[in-house]
Amino acid sequence: MTALRAPRPRGGLDRKIARKGWLFILPAVLLILALSFYPMVEAFLLSLQKGSGNQLTYGGLSNYQRLPKDNTYVTALGNTFFYLIVQVPVMLALALILAVMLNDSKLMGRGIYRTLIFLPCATSLVSCSMIFLQLFSNNGLLNSLFLRWGWVSEPIPFLTNAVYARLVIVITMLWRWTGYNMVFYLAGLQNIDHQIYEAARIDGASAIQQFTKITVPLLRPIILFTTVLSTNGTLQLFDEVRIMTAGGPGIGTATLSWHIYRTTFESVPRFGYAAAMAFTIFLMVAALAFIQMKVGERK
Amino acid sequence: MKKLLALLLVTVLLLSAASALAQTKLTVWCWDPAFNIYAMEEAKKVYALINPDVEIEVIETLSVDCETKQTAALSSGQTDTLPDIVLMQDNSGRRFLDTFPGAYFPMDGLVDYDNFATYKIDKFTSDGKRYAVPFDNGVAATFVRTDYLEAAGFTLNDLTDITWDRFIEIGQKVKEATGQFMLVTQAGYADFVSMITQSADFWFFDEDGRPNINTNPAVRAMVEVIVKLHESGIVKEAVDWSEYIASFNNGSAGSTIQGCWIIGSIVLAEDQAGKWGVTNIPRLDIESGTNYSSQGGSSWVVPASSKNPEAAVDFLSKTFGASVEFYQTILQSSGAIATYLPAAAGPAYSEPHPFFNGQKVFEDLMSYSAHVPLVKYGVYNYEARDEIVIAIEAIFNGTSIDDALNSAQSAIEFIME
Repeated sequence: MTALRAPRPRGGLDRKIARKGWLFILPAVLLILALSFYPMVEAFLLSLQKGSGNQLTYGGLSNYQRLPKDNTYVTALGNTFFYLIVQVPVMLALALILAVMLNDSKLMGRGIYRTLIFLPCATSLVSCSMIFLQLFSNNGLLNSLFLRWGWVSEPIPFLTNAVYARLVIVITMLWRWTGYNMVFYLAGLQNIDHQIYEAARIDGASAIQQFTKITVPLLRPIILFTTVLSTNGTLQLFDEVRIMTAGGPGIGTATLSWHIYRTTFESVPRFGYAAAMAFTIFLMVAALAFIQMKVGERK
Repeated sequence: MKKLLALLLVTVLLLSAASALAQTKLTVWCWDPAFNIYAMEEAKKVYALINPDVEIEVIETLSVDCETKQTAALSSGQTDTLPDIVLMQDNSGRRFLDTFPGAYFPMDGLVDYDNFATYKIDKFTSDGKRYAVPFDNGVAATFVRTDYLEAAGFTLNDLTDITWDRFIEIGQKVKEATGQFMLVTQAGYADFVSMITQSADFWFFDEDGRPNINTNPAVRAMVEVIVKLHESGIVKEAVDWSEYIASFNNGSAGSTIQGCWIIGSIVLAEDQAGKWGVTNIPRLDIESGTNYSSQGGSSWVVPASSKNPEAAVDFLSKTFGASVEFYQTILQSSGAIATYLPAAAGPAYSEPHPFFNGQKVFEDLMSYSAHVPLVKYGVYNYEARDEIVIAIEAIFNGTSIDDALNSAQSAIEFIME
């Protein structure tokens, strides 16, 4: 993808127009500098300080050196990557398949299906987590139904068994975000000409071949975009973990953002250390985004 | 005419402004409508007779939210969001006082400390100064459905002064007879970690404040008991607080072992009136094990950022710190047991409680109070407790007790460094 280049100002009039252009975007640039970049710099400076509460002193990279020794950090890192590796591919594949199915002009009630699948991501993250907590808890809907129908004799510990709890969180995220990604894919599918599919069908391609050889390659930029976005979001997972399992059992479902929140607000507050952890997330997201873009750009 | 009206208007405005200035407004943050908020509302009524010019507003804020809001405000310096009075868990007292020096208003000389239980005052003493008005007693007890016990052929006496092993035996018979869980607690057993360790006169730290999780006999015995409870099948492990409360309210659990402040929630199930009894908690089978402990308990602190700290302290000291009748009023329906010693001699404390089948529960609880082992809480109480909870989870999944406790020890040392 080549970036558009603004024509170099040649004469006085061009330079005036260029300057006016800069003046137009100046307020936005200033706001971004003040509200995004300045806090980032301050946060980095904070990550170089150690101590608790208000009593902070500069300690160089000691916070970063502390990270590998922090058992909770390492466990949370593992859990976060578990969510990433399990949830993102499943969600994107599901969203893609649903988008292709709902793109069929012969399907009745397409509009209703699309709305219903998209609706979950319009809900508040907190309400969604609380409802799923109710669904899966020992007294919750699922266990009550299973007990009543006699499928199990004791409630299934969905949220108090580490493996089940992680899967429940993955399911919650799937429910919520599949529709969001599906809408992106639907938009992308509108740009693919019908005639390509007709030609393929005439040539004898099956539905699966059409999907893998036509749809996926043509949607590549959008798939890349949603992958980067989903990776970013999943690496920063917090709300579901905080509300549904409080990181538990123990730290079985803990994520990095949850650990940062706990270090900042719930334990004896260590802001410098929390800022250092936040920067490691930043580095990971940047690295993953870079890798994904390199892979996506392969022609 | 217009001039007269204008003059009248200005006079009225000035007068109302003057009276608004004369009226002091205090905001209070606390949680639990059945307990703390109810107590605050009653205190307001008592104080209105002493000083009607003070307006007090109670804002319901969960314990965890109170703490995160204070942390956020104190660390960012935006202290104008803080209230005039806030309720604080005893376990968190030293954490806030030591992490944010100068953030709270010292109360020496303004509160009648000689009449309060010493162990409560110690929790909020830092650098020789005292910072809180103690509130409720966190003395722990076993609250049990006597009808479930009868169905299995036991009485309240069979649950008194016993060990945990005996409790588990009885619990299994109760489960066979009634089909219900004997005990409910929150999954993770965090409450039991603190309560049982303290019952054996140990804490997670030694005399010098250093963690001793892997060498401490009480922690080891407590972990073994919790593993037994988990494997016995008699404990309902509630996913969160509301499921915990619902479990004894709807009868799916026959007992709860908790601080006495849980009475406010137990009596919510009116159909269970007369079916409950109270006794002391099971003990660890080690030399220092006792049948007494405390769990929770909180005190009122005044942030230094308050615009009317003296008014706030005056309100607290004249109600929570002086009024014996106030403590009688709040006792019955909330179970808010005082740590203000003169209050315990009042009439309500020896009343039989109808919900508990006429048992004089408050007398019993006050007598347990006298036996609660005094342990020295540090600053990192919750962190140590959480590391032990993580260790216990690992033990449930097969790690050996030694390995898990050693990891917990290095984890808490790491946090404290």
